[in-house]
Amino acid sequence: MPITQTPDPASVISEAIEGIFATVAEVRRLALASHAAAVAEGRAFLDPDVRGLAPAFVDLLEAPDQLAVGLGIILEPGTLPSHPLRLEWWQRSTGRDAPVPLEVDLHPDSVGFYDYMAADWFAVPRRTRARHVVGPYVDVHGTDRYLLTLTMPMEADGRFLGVAGADVPITGFETVVLRRLGTAEAILVNDEGRVVVSTTSRWITGCLLPDHERRPGVPLAELPWELLEPPLPEPARAASRGEG
Amino acid sequence: MRLLSGDARDALLTPLDGGGRSQAVARRLGSAIALGLLEDGEQLPSESQLAATLNVSTLTLRDALAELRSWGLVETRRGRGGGSFVRMSQAALARLSHDRLAEVGVSDLRELGDMHSMVAGSAAHKAAERASPTELARLRDLVSRMADARDATELHRLESRYYIEMAAAAQSARLTRLEIELQGDLAQVMWRLQTDRSAAAVAAGRAAVVEEVARHRGDRARRLTEEQVADDTRRLIDDHIATTRSSAS
Repeated sequence: MPITQTPDPASVISEAIEGIFATVAEVRRLALASHAAAVAEGRAFLDPDVRGLAPAFVDLLEAPDQLAVGLGIILEPGTLPSHPLRLEWWQRSTGRDAPVPLEVDLHPDSVGFYDYMAADWFAVPRRTRARHVVGPYVDVHGTDRYLLTLTMPMEADGRFLGVAGADVPITGFETVVLRRLGTAEAILVNDEGRVVVSTTSRWITGCLLPDHERRPGVPLAELPWELLEPPLPEPARAASRGEG
Repeated sequence: MRLLSGDARDALLTPLDGGGRSQAVARRLGSAIALGLLEDGEQLPSESQLAATLNVSTLTLRDALAELRSWGLVETRRGRGGGSFVRMSQAALARLSHDRLAEVGVSDLRELGDMHSMVAGSAAHKAAERASPTELARLRDLVSRMADARDATELHRLESRYYIEMAAAAQSARLTRLEIELQGDLAQVMWRLQTDRSAAAVAAGRAAVVEEVARHRGDRARRLTEEQVADDTRRLIDDHIATTRSSAS
């Protein structure tokens, strides 16, 4: 008898996310190599070094099956002598063939100030020196899209240089996960109790799970995420309430 | 510079008669200075580059820059290291918004208020369901900085950020984009509110909304927001009527 295997939601999700982290790790490798080359030449890491990373970032974005729509590095203030705040971030945007650089407003007094030091995707890896996933969230003053942002800290000789990261539209991530889940049920929530992906329309992407709906979840390895037990189907819910 | 792309299409940005395209562009740049998107002392991109960004001819842009110069918001230096530089001037912005307010109609202001009420009210309502602790902390921080605002410019910028962050906390990219657009439109006239709004009162009102959002009371957060927007709109309309009447005498 053939065994129809229901995929394990935890491995489906891990696989999808690790694929994106592999891209982030490559972004980090490229940036750190450029930094190391500058150090080897006995000079400071400079703005042209950062700009020089662009073609490699574009290649990564254009790789087949790339889920990330944006990627690059965001630097810790002080890393470049010339710029207090600096990011080199490339993105694919709808209606354009070639990736374009993300231009953000880095004036602290502006209404549109992109305060990346305060963003969890920067602040958390800076504090913990470990990778992080933020979202779904609206990347306000940045791409203005609804995203997951994955970041890894960049360090050289113990000094924090900033983060390497990638943006994945939540819709793209959800599509991949739902396709691979088959008939398995899952509710994936982040560390703020926000639904990342779910197989039920009762709790959809972006909503916060109220405390009374929180059931014990299974934490996913090295991710700020938890898989919750799938909800009972509606009639069974009613029946179980009637019994209780 | 992101608010500046595309056409200067909005009713509030369009001059009444005869002013034409260059005046609309000048106003758009004036809004950008008001919102801090263009910083005091910042050098503007080259004329051809800026014209391309704004999607206008260099001739139109040149006229717009001349207008900004006459208002004292741009300074042009010749020679090496020369170019056009932004000059932030509270007085110039106040005069600009005064002129602008005299020019528009009551119905323009009412419509802008209606639209803002709809967007900001819905954002607050949904944020009460969906705002995370991080997002609430960011809103609280903005509100407390509003209370300490040094001048009308800072108060207005923080308030704009507050509305935009509220829409983001609602987890809606669409509402966020609408709110950003509205703040661009409002930038020109909101300066008029500086005289009759105290930073403390504005901050207290917004703080009350944030606390309703934190308690998941969406209906109250929406109602308070709608009242605040209506209140600001009414002030603008009063001001507009008074300004228009006085200009006749």
